[in-house]
Amino acid sequence: MNILEEALKRGEKTLSENDSKRFLAEHGIPVTKEKIATSEGEAVKIAGEIGYPVVLKASGSEFAHKTEMNLIELDLRTETEVREAFKRLTGNPKAKVEEVLVQQMIKGDRELVVGLTRDPQFGPCVMFGLGGIFTEILEDVAFRVAPLTRWDAYDMMEDIKAKKILEAFRGKPAVDREVLADILITIGKIGLDYDLVKEIDVNPLKILNGKPVAVDALVVLDTDAAKQ
Amino acid sequence: MRTKRDLDILFNPRSIAFIGASQNPAKWGFIIPLNILKGQFKGELYPVNPRLESFLGIPCYPSVGAIPGSVDLAIITTPAKTVPSLIDECGAKGIRFVIVVSSNFSETGPEGAELERELVERAGRYGITIVGPNTMGIYSAASRLNALMPPVVPLEGRLSMFSQSGNVGVQMLYWGNNKGLGFNKFVSSGNEADLTCEDYLAYFGDDEATEVILGYMEGIDPGSDLIRVARRVCRKKPVLIFKGGRTATGGKAAASHSGAMAGSSRVLKGVFRQAGIVEIAESQGLIDAAKIFSAYPIPKGNRVGILTRGGGWGVITADACEEHGLVVPPLPEEIIRRLDKILPPYWSRGNPVDMAANILLEPFMECMEALAEWDEVDSVIALGGSIQGIFDFEAKVEGTKELKEVIILAREVAREYTTQNDVVLDHTRDLVDRTGKPVVVVTLGDYEGFKSDLRDHGVVSYPTPERAVKALKRMVEYRRFLDSPVEEI
Repeated sequence: MNILEEALKRGEKTLSENDSKRFLAEHGIPVTKEKIATSEGEAVKIAGEIGYPVVLKASGSEFAHKTEMNLIELDLRTETEVREAFKRLTGNPKAKVEEVLVQQMIKGDRELVVGLTRDPQFGPCVMFGLGGIFTEILEDVAFRVAPLTRWDAYDMMEDIKAKKILEAFRGKPAVDREVLADILITIGKIGLDYDLVKEIDVNPLKILNGKPVAVDALVVLDTDAAKQ
Repeated sequence: MRTKRDLDILFNPRSIAFIGASQNPAKWGFIIPLNILKGQFKGELYPVNPRLESFLGIPCYPSVGAIPGSVDLAIITTPAKTVPSLIDECGAKGIRFVIVVSSNFSETGPEGAELERELVERAGRYGITIVGPNTMGIYSAASRLNALMPPVVPLEGRLSMFSQSGNVGVQMLYWGNNKGLGFNKFVSSGNEADLTCEDYLAYFGDDEATEVILGYMEGIDPGSDLIRVARRVCRKKPVLIFKGGRTATGGKAAASHSGAMAGSSRVLKGVFRQAGIVEIAESQGLIDAAKIFSAYPIPKGNRVGILTRGGGWGVITADACEEHGLVVPPLPEEIIRRLDKILPPYWSRGNPVDMAANILLEPFMECMEALAEWDEVDSVIALGGSIQGIFDFEAKVEGTKELKEVIILAREVAREYTTQNDVVLDHTRDLVDRTGKPVVVVTLGDYEGFKSDLRDHGVVSYPTPERAVKALKRMVEYRRFLDSPVEEI
């Protein structure tokens, strides 16, 4: 059974961060290396496999605003730091955290956003723009209706005001537009192929050595479509 | 995907039944047939009204069934509730197209919407195609069909327009008249109970008499094929669309206006760009763009040569170009040498080419030619091409006798000089044809000649450099789309 149907069966309206990324990765979208840990020892083991530094996040579809609830532990560089962070997360008085996501820490040098929305007139539409906190402040985003041609994907990158962010700057290489175009086209294709997927947010999509990687992702399910 | 609708008969009917003919000059039942007759419609007009024997000097018929011979098109202006049964009569007569001018359908609420559904359902039984209801009518140059509410007689041209707002569309026809811009076909789509914008777009796309398509839209139906249709049409000819209801406020007005749902403006912007539609966001911009697209070839790229009689206007134009993504390249040596032979030694030697207050016509035309022939630019903006208005012929002459005589003489020279404006315009058009590049004239100020510039000389002129730049930019955007690869998806 696939990731979407399993989540619906559990009564979830959104996929957890890890499930969202597993779903995107299945479709070829590059995501952070990560794994769920249910114990301190397991977290340390996974961190060793991924390689330091790592990030620990409370895992579960109910945790949508992790930063605000102190459910993220960034830039953990040693086994001890991982153990302490695990204790803090599972001991958080405001949230019942049973599982912790151990994730590759990607510093990155630029933050972009990629998403999927469903327009009442045009159906699935792909969004692309400036990511991180700037998405909401500057609203520098462009939309294209799915399916996207390769030219549409490239044209989208030209369509944001901050398009220079994709070029080489301060010693960092230009963003690999080929890979970025693949991601945009794929997101549109997901919108066409899966009625169960209502919306997708990949924010931030970080740029590491020119390559985009989905650092956080959220897949919203359409529970009405599921009933049909 | 909807089946394509053949609208040849709608736009070229051999005969029209006008249902609701009225002798009251304040009623549409009087005004519209008057406009049809006044416009010298090439086919037959049969007014229908059981209480009239004749109407405006032609026989009037008691019913559609009583009309001798066949009828291609019916136009109805009677109250909404009478329309469904009239559709039955039209069906029995074998009429294929009905334009329902009458209002009080879906735009007024659920009761009207029910009546509209009934109208479409009945029309479907007879294979009748409906324009409207709640439409301001149609125009077609080929059959001289002027079935419009207002008494506008559009100039004949190669531009066709559909409009979800009758009054916005009709205003474009008026503006076209003022600016020498001709139309081929026009339809006010009304409530779009049957025929929709995408049907008109598809039809105009295949119509050989139409070279440029103009549209005013507020809503797009969910699941509409508009974008798929537009993608195909835009490869063949430019489609310029003004989308009303972009903002939350405008959107609300749209919902209560045409019974249409306004879409999210950002999504729409992207969708238009994908389809190759040139989106226009100001009413003035729609007619400005229509002028240049209907008269000039699409430039190959975004590089512009600027010619000005005075420095300041050149600076303003260069700024506007840069702000709108147009490039003003530096002059190469050979063009400088060519211009050196025309201009005084102190000229700017750069692009913009500043003629240093030289007002003579010959050098102006020669400079324009040099810029148009320069292979590193794709279009030319010529400021001050018209010299009308530089001498105030109306001003009262005062002063000594000698002074008066000199001024009067100077005026005569200027008047003579002004008549040579036509020479400049014809030269401009010749350059466009010869080089395949748009040469846009900026008159700097209002001037009487906009209409004849375009209609009589085929030259596109605007009063300000900003408007010229915006119009050119839209052509450059369209070029970008034309040059993009055709990808199967």
